[in-house]
Amino acid sequence: MNEPSFEEDQAELEAIVERLERGEVELEELARLWERGERLCRRLAAELTATQGRIEELARELDAEAPEPRR
Amino acid sequence: MKVASTEVDGRKVFSVSSFNQGIALWLERLPTVWVEGEVTELRRQERWTTVFLTLKDPENGACLAVQMPRGQFDALRLELADGERIHVYGRPELYARRGEFHLRALTIERFGLGAHLAALERLKKTLALEGVFASERKRPLPRIPRLIGLVTGNDAAAKRDVLTAISSRFPPANVLVAETYVQGHRAARAVEDAMAELCARGVDVLIIARGGGSFDDLLAFSDERLVRAVSACPVPVVSAIGHEQDVSLVDLAADVRASTPSSAGRLVVPDQAELRAWLERTRLGLQRSATRMCERRAESLARTRERLGQAPVRELDRRRTRLEAIRAQLRALSPSATVERGYAIVRAGDGLVREPPPVGTALTVEVAGGAFSAHAG
Repeated sequence: MNEPSFEEDQAELEAIVERLERGEVELEELARLWERGERLCRRLAAELTATQGRIEELARELDAEAPEPRR
Repeated sequence: MKVASTEVDGRKVFSVSSFNQGIALWLERLPTVWVEGEVTELRRQERWTTVFLTLKDPENGACLAVQMPRGQFDALRLELADGERIHVYGRPELYARRGEFHLRALTIERFGLGAHLAALERLKKTLALEGVFASERKRPLPRIPRLIGLVTGNDAAAKRDVLTAISSRFPPANVLVAETYVQGHRAARAVEDAMAELCARGVDVLIIARGGGSFDDLLAFSDERLVRAVSACPVPVVSAIGHEQDVSLVDLAADVRASTPSSAGRLVVPDQAELRAWLERTRLGLQRSATRMCERRAESLARTRERLGQAPVRELDRRRTRLEAIRAQLRALSPSATVERGYAIVRAGDGLVREPPPVGTALTVEVAGGAFSAHAG
């Protein structure tokens, strides 16, 4: 199975938060859903940090690579 | 008056000035006459004392220089335009310093529109009606042309101006030059052929450049077939023909009209320095917006996370509150609450008293403050 994308994780997280906010869950479900939500949050945050890091790294690499094309 | 000459080795020799003087004297004896022709190259300027024009024979193109003092010319209020047919009353005169002959005009009369201009005007109207000059037909120039075609005369000036402008603005540009006739009866076909050849060789933009010239010199650029070829050209055409005030029909049909050959050159290529700066700005913008997108998602994630943390707490609070309410309701229904309001519970032994008991029955009465014994009376 494919890893879920950032957007899919985000959509699931939002659905969880909305369900919790509507208060339509069983008591045992409450803790389970919260835990799932918290895990999704961490995964998404880690993915964002990694992406941002990659952008900065690429920018540094490209800067070092080709400063001036031929005249 | 006698014209001076010297004897050299037995021949009679005139100096240039005395020869010219002699011719001038001879010309002065000619009668004043009317001459009919078309006005071309009318040159009149406030700081000049003389107005110059060339009178052209519409039949065979023979030309005659005409001069008239500006005061007299202005007093006639003719407002002549090139191509108009006029009658000039004057006499021949020699400008002795340069040995140049011209007609000294005493008066000028208008003789109806010049045939050329009228024909040109007709052609212009026809083509305009067909939409040949329509602005919707103008195509944008390529941002960075692969191969630029330049049709120009071999007179160098226009060609050099275009090439200099292109190479100073965008050094890596590729230009294919076709030198051809740019005036005379062969010019229109020659320019048309040169355009076709350059297109066949894969240019993606064309410049037609020609330096300034007289009305007649530029006439080729109003040739109907050439004008149509320009408008039907498969690639965009930039025209730079003559000076800014001379507008040929090719100029009108071209996708872009440049005021000078240099400006045509500047129009077809981007400024390399500007392009680099733009690229740099875009690159920075790209990086900034990628970073900003990450940041925005991080912010939204933080907000969601806060909601996630609060939702169960609130839900538990809500349930607790509901529980409290139920408990209060339950309490309201218990008997002690009724006693609290002033009622009493009367017991006889273990049983509750619901009917009046026999006199003397020992009773226990329970009220809010406590219980006491009594006897039925």
